[in-house]
Amino acid sequence: MSLDEILFALLAGTSLVTAVLALLAREIVHTIMWIAILFVSLGLIYFLLEAPFLGVLQLAVYAGAVTILLLFAIMVVKKRIFSREAVTGIGVTSVLLTVATALLLAGNALSLPYNAAGRTYPTPILSQSLFLDFGAWVIILGFVVLSALVGAVYLAKESRGRPIRAEGE
Amino acid sequence: MIPLDELVLFSGLLFSLGIFGVLTRRNFIMLLISIEIMMNSAILNFIAFAAYSPAGNSLLEVSGQGIAVVLIGLAATEVALGLAIVLALNRIIGSVDVADAMQLKL
Repeated sequence: MSLDEILFALLAGTSLVTAVLALLAREIVHTIMWIAILFVSLGLIYFLLEAPFLGVLQLAVYAGAVTILLLFAIMVVKKRIFSREAVTGIGVTSVLLTVATALLLAGNALSLPYNAAGRTYPTPILSQSLFLDFGAWVIILGFVVLSALVGAVYLAKESRGRPIRAEGE
Repeated sequence: MIPLDELVLFSGLLFSLGIFGVLTRRNFIMLLISIEIMMNSAILNFIAFAAYSPAGNSLLEVSGQGIAVVLIGLAATEVALGLAIVLALNRIIGSVDVADAMQLKL
């Protein structure tokens, strides 16, 4: 085993364990802390795959922005930050569906027909591809993000005129 | 280089963990987090296959990484919109439990 594979095994194990802990945690703030570790280890895996631009993007967008956004939403929504809630509905159906999905995808992964050797690219080629071949996509992505943020501001805005229903109704 | 099948196996396991979260939790924020885990496993697949793409077309070789950049942007947008929906839901029905949001017209 090379150093890459040992590091990948460690990072993949960390990711899977933190994902399970995040999904089983009773307090949602703990969930977000586990999920931040998961995002950071996924970014490190991107670095191992010789995709440093995507690793930096993962660290900035996911481990930075998304985590802080989720924490902020919990601060606004919850009356007390550390409020426990039960993990509802771990039933036979959900476990069976999860195991079925895992078996299907693992079977596909283990029967993958590939024989090419792994290759690495210099980052300038990615930027050329991103702004020449994917130029229209990047512009469309900008418009999608802009319109979605306008919609988000509209949704999150306090509407004064409408009555607010009482809790539990 | 990491073998491709180990990468795809790992991302499949991560995807099924996301499905487990969607099926078991009822908090809207937890649903968003589970969807983010599934999105991340898909992005990891794109990057892994980009590292094993056959040589040939000069610029299209890295199209997997380009699609991954677009997907990360879309996932961030989705989180922003989902959290705005969480705030609106919390203001209108006073709870972020998806079981409480049973009616379409609020």
